[in-house]
Amino acid sequence: MQLTQEKYNELEEMAYQIRRLSLEMITCGKWGHPGGSFSMAEILSVLYFNDLRVDPKNPDWPERDRLVYSKAHASPALYAALALKGFFPIDDIYCYCQFGGLDGHTDMNRTKGLETSGGSLGMGLSIAVGMALGLRKKEISRARAYCIIGDGESTSGNIWEAAMSAGHYHLDNLITILDYNRLMAKGYVWEEMGIEPIREKWEAFGWDVIDVDGHDINKVADAVYQAKWVMPRGKPIILIAHTVKGKGLEETEFNPKWHAEHPSPQLADKMLRELSHRYGKPELGYSRLNQ
Amino acid sequence: MSEIKKNLQMRDIMGLAITELAAEHEDVILVDADLHTSTRMTPFKERFPDRFIQAGIAEQNQFGIAAGLASVGFTPFPATFACFVARKAIDQFAYSICFPQLNVKVPGSYAGVPTSSSGPSHNSFEDMVFMRAIPNLKVADPGDEADLRAVIKTAYETPGPIYFRGIRSALPDIFNEGHTFKWGKGELLREGSDVTLFGTGMMTNNCIKAADMLLKDGIYAEVVHLGSVKPIDEALIVESVQRTGCAVAAENGSVLGGFGSAVAEVLGEHYPVPIKRIGVQDQWIQGGPEEDLMTFYKMQPVDIALAARASMDMKKK
Repeated sequence: MQLTQEKYNELEEMAYQIRRLSLEMITCGKWGHPGGSFSMAEILSVLYFNDLRVDPKNPDWPERDRLVYSKAHASPALYAALALKGFFPIDDIYCYCQFGGLDGHTDMNRTKGLETSGGSLGMGLSIAVGMALGLRKKEISRARAYCIIGDGESTSGNIWEAAMSAGHYHLDNLITILDYNRLMAKGYVWEEMGIEPIREKWEAFGWDVIDVDGHDINKVADAVYQAKWVMPRGKPIILIAHTVKGKGLEETEFNPKWHAEHPSPQLADKMLRELSHRYGKPELGYSRLNQ
Repeated sequence: MSEIKKNLQMRDIMGLAITELAAEHEDVILVDADLHTSTRMTPFKERFPDRFIQAGIAEQNQFGIAAGLASVGFTPFPATFACFVARKAIDQFAYSICFPQLNVKVPGSYAGVPTSSSGPSHNSFEDMVFMRAIPNLKVADPGDEADLRAVIKTAYETPGPIYFRGIRSALPDIFNEGHTFKWGKGELLREGSDVTLFGTGMMTNNCIKAADMLLKDGIYAEVVHLGSVKPIDEALIVESVQRTGCAVAAENGSVLGGFGSAVAEVLGEHYPVPIKRIGVQDQWIQGGPEEDLMTFYKMQPVDIALAARASMDMKKK
């Protein structure tokens, strides 16, 4: 499946905006996880602007797709995608981590467009399994459950309990995406707690696996298309998205320091200008530099 | 004793009542963790196989699946032993279900001391302690069959997360068939003037027996059943000790932070009077015959009667 140039341009613009808004909110909120947000930019762009059947005007539409964002510390990227999609005004991102504003982790009852509350890692995939089972039992056959998990999170036992049950129940209405950026909170995944051979693990649990470059928009879109329409039915599918933590800026790429770190307004201004150059956009710094 | 023998075990009633609820309501769905023959949810499995989900011996997964099912419109009952809700699935229950206020009803089976001979791994002393502390969660410990049935009915009708528990074995009847249950509403079972015996769950029955013993010695004990542990009937607690001037609280679980603590909190803040707490005193619960265990942990009617006298002695000082 090949995206049209027009669609590709739209998805690239959204990935740019997801990175840009993530950094804006982390800087403004003085808290957040830029590394795991940046690694998600293309994946969230493809999901929200090419695939997910969701309606910001009718967020409780029973037949919608459900996205469980299990790696909820990377909430800035998700909030950016939801705001860009129209679930809430873009200006709301400047309430990130303010009392009463967008939460550091996610609260489904306070933010439109969220399907779950997250933050305690390892728990999301079981919820997605419950959703997929429930959608099947309700015969809502057009809706799918999606789940986004982290690689550090994949060291949690609950992930594998869920993986086993999804395989057992042949949940082919469940698509999981692993953000395999190879860094966890305190270091490199392979040093802290190795998860390889990861493809074989998922296959052994009864899943079909697609490896994909998580920053190549065409390839991510094609992988989701394959998962939705081409792969044989009868198994849950996981996309192992090979990503770079902090992707988009020289300072943050594959740099453990930027797992949970906020830049000063001056540094954010410099970073955002670099980001606009990288995307070939007009130079644009931090919008609240002088506030 | 003969009355107890003819009654069904509380675990059987729990299984039957939830199965009957499923017959009335298509959204009721059961999530098991390989314990349905023990929790007596097998009738549900046999009658509604399409609404019975096996999560494996994986309670974290069980509660996560329940959260997902609730979010698409089902009313899930993730059924397992009370100790496993408290020790194995507490984060999933607290954060994935209670924090977002999902409509999940949790039956904790094999609650407290009387759990056959399984021993400390299967005996819950802490479930009520943990559940009380979770915001958005309502908590009940029913006292007999009618009370358990009423709790299950009310739990279904109440939006949001609910935890209720039941013991493995049978209990004598306290309430009539038409009994209803309301959150935050206790039941004055016997009026008295010397001491109030506050009971919850299976211990209310022992409070009644203790009151009988005390009466033989000319002591008039009031008996109050508080099946709704959270919210708790603050007004009735205060009203009762205004009459009696001292209290005993009896529970089938740890006295550290559980039901007795809840009663003591109300008294301490609103009407301080002496209180003695009956229950598991900071110990793991061993396995063994129920009567032996109840004697060992000093939870028999005679222990409540002795505590009542001690509470009355404190009142005199």
